[in-house]
Amino acid sequence: MNKFSTRLQTVNGVKDILPKEAFEKRKLEASLVELFRKWGYQEVQPPTIEYYDVVAENDNSIDELFKFIDREGRILALRPDFTTPIARLVAANFKGETLPLRLFYTGNVFRFESTQTGRQREFSQAGVELIGAKGVGADAEVIALAIEAMLACSLKDFKIGIGQVMVTKGLLEEFSQEPADIQTIKQAIITKDFVGLENILLNQKWDGKPRKELLGLATLHGSIEVLSKARKLSNNDGFLQAIEELEQVYDILESYGLSKYIFFDFSILRDFEYYTGIVFEGYTPDLGYPVCGGGRYDNLLSRFGLEKPAVGFALGQERVMLAQKSFSCPPKIDYLVTGGDTKTLLKKAKELRAQGYSAIVDFDGSSAVQVKDNINEVLFVQGGKS
Amino acid sequence: MEDKITIALPKGKLGNEALELLAKIGLPVEGLVTESRTLLFDYPEAGIRYIICRPTDIPTYVEHGAADLGIVGKDTIVEAGADIFELVDLKFGKCRFVVALPEATLNKYSKQGKFDLRVLNKGRVATKFPKVAEDFFASQGIQVEVIKLHGNIELAPRVGLSEMIVDIVSTGRTLRENGLVAVQNIFEATARLIANRVSYRMKYARLNEISGKLRQILAQEGVNNA
Repeated sequence: MNKFSTRLQTVNGVKDILPKEAFEKRKLEASLVELFRKWGYQEVQPPTIEYYDVVAENDNSIDELFKFIDREGRILALRPDFTTPIARLVAANFKGETLPLRLFYTGNVFRFESTQTGRQREFSQAGVELIGAKGVGADAEVIALAIEAMLACSLKDFKIGIGQVMVTKGLLEEFSQEPADIQTIKQAIITKDFVGLENILLNQKWDGKPRKELLGLATLHGSIEVLSKARKLSNNDGFLQAIEELEQVYDILESYGLSKYIFFDFSILRDFEYYTGIVFEGYTPDLGYPVCGGGRYDNLLSRFGLEKPAVGFALGQERVMLAQKSFSCPPKIDYLVTGGDTKTLLKKAKELRAQGYSAIVDFDGSSAVQVKDNINEVLFVQGGKS
Repeated sequence: MEDKITIALPKGKLGNEALELLAKIGLPVEGLVTESRTLLFDYPEAGIRYIICRPTDIPTYVEHGAADLGIVGKDTIVEAGADIFELVDLKFGKCRFVVALPEATLNKYSKQGKFDLRVLNKGRVATKFPKVAEDFFASQGIQVEVIKLHGNIELAPRVGLSEMIVDIVSTGRTLRENGLVAVQNIFEATARLIANRVSYRMKYARLNEISGKLRQILAQEGVNNA
């Protein structure tokens, strides 16, 4: 152990990104940005730091925020995602503008999660928010864009799973129970804890029908045909409308030519309190976590005084990079310019760069040996006194 | 093409019972032993691979997708707090989490044969399951100091390391032999079939087939035993 050993460490849950990975990441980000722009989305960059009250979840004392206190004693937090800061940004800057707004972002987010789960505490997201548009057209656009984003990341064999929190909410409301029970049931459905779900429902002493419906719903999985199966589970209006909208979303995705990537699964609820409609997650084989996720959250903007519906998704760049099988290497430097006097060298390098090549200058005559394998061609320049 | 799936099995007794059950639903298990140096068993024709690991590591393998399915006790699942799907209660490996303390302590604090756990507020609890212990006492509004041990928890109250213990019991014999009495059940645990949350969606057909068959077999056995 030398005396610098602690100084060389990075903080738990964060890491250095070295040239190879940085190259890959930048490339990925560039292709996503290009895609989002083609779909008419404009970039916004909210700050990294927000007031705690902006990003704090309601009634959740155990949050995953990185918190600190500024010099005036106010509590601040590093953004845990982009959706909430962008909701604030829109309410503050776009009140009264023509809607819908199509916004995209890329950047780092920070969550104080247990590092045991293999997730970093600082990670990068890229995503979109479609604000001020309600209905199946908007839902389908965002899902289609999520699929295109997965394709742009050269992911193969991926699937997007679609759920609808209103379907489950509708069923739960119909058999209105204590809020605490509903919370336990939701938790059981989210974690696919069939065992727990069955136990809770048995303890509820619901006879026959409702119990079967909820269990039936949690086990529904598949393509468009599951929607007709789901239809039979309840007569609740909200429930039936939600199913109908899913069918419409499917039809639109078929028109996009993207319906082969999707399946329906009503256990996909994501954050139940936050989302108000369709929800979806993207999966790839051999990666244990979803690569992207999103949904409709019509109540979030009202927290900032703007009653507008919204739908969006975010994609985890590190997870995409884990899922990508092939890695490209950063390109080699085209030229190392050496041989002549400094003036000649600099002039030659400038010329090459202007022509679109990358070039480094061997300013003291030593680089040629050191970095040869990183360089495509060593260019000896004649002229000047050498 | 059928998806290839990986199943994580625990070493030892729990693993052997799991194997019996898997054999019953027609999965290949010939030559598979949970106590050996071999940790990977491949059955390419059936598209199945087993990995044998420590029970406490199974939720981790499944959470990260290194295994699609796993068989492990509910006790381990709760302690791991892993983000996984719990599919089937396999009914075997039954045990319960209890709070236990020395008989002498129980007699000292009992009033008219009744014992209130709150008299041990601010006490020390020795356990192999700190998360279960903390969650339980927090839910009771009791503050305790949790002392994590790796085995032979019964020893702790006898030598004054803690006032009580939280441990899993199946028969209760070990407790009795150490002069301890269970005063409170926390919850009952049995072995569970768990699944990775992405595998469950990407390999739905196969995973659902396996969990369906298991449920069917268990229902039949339940009827036979009744």
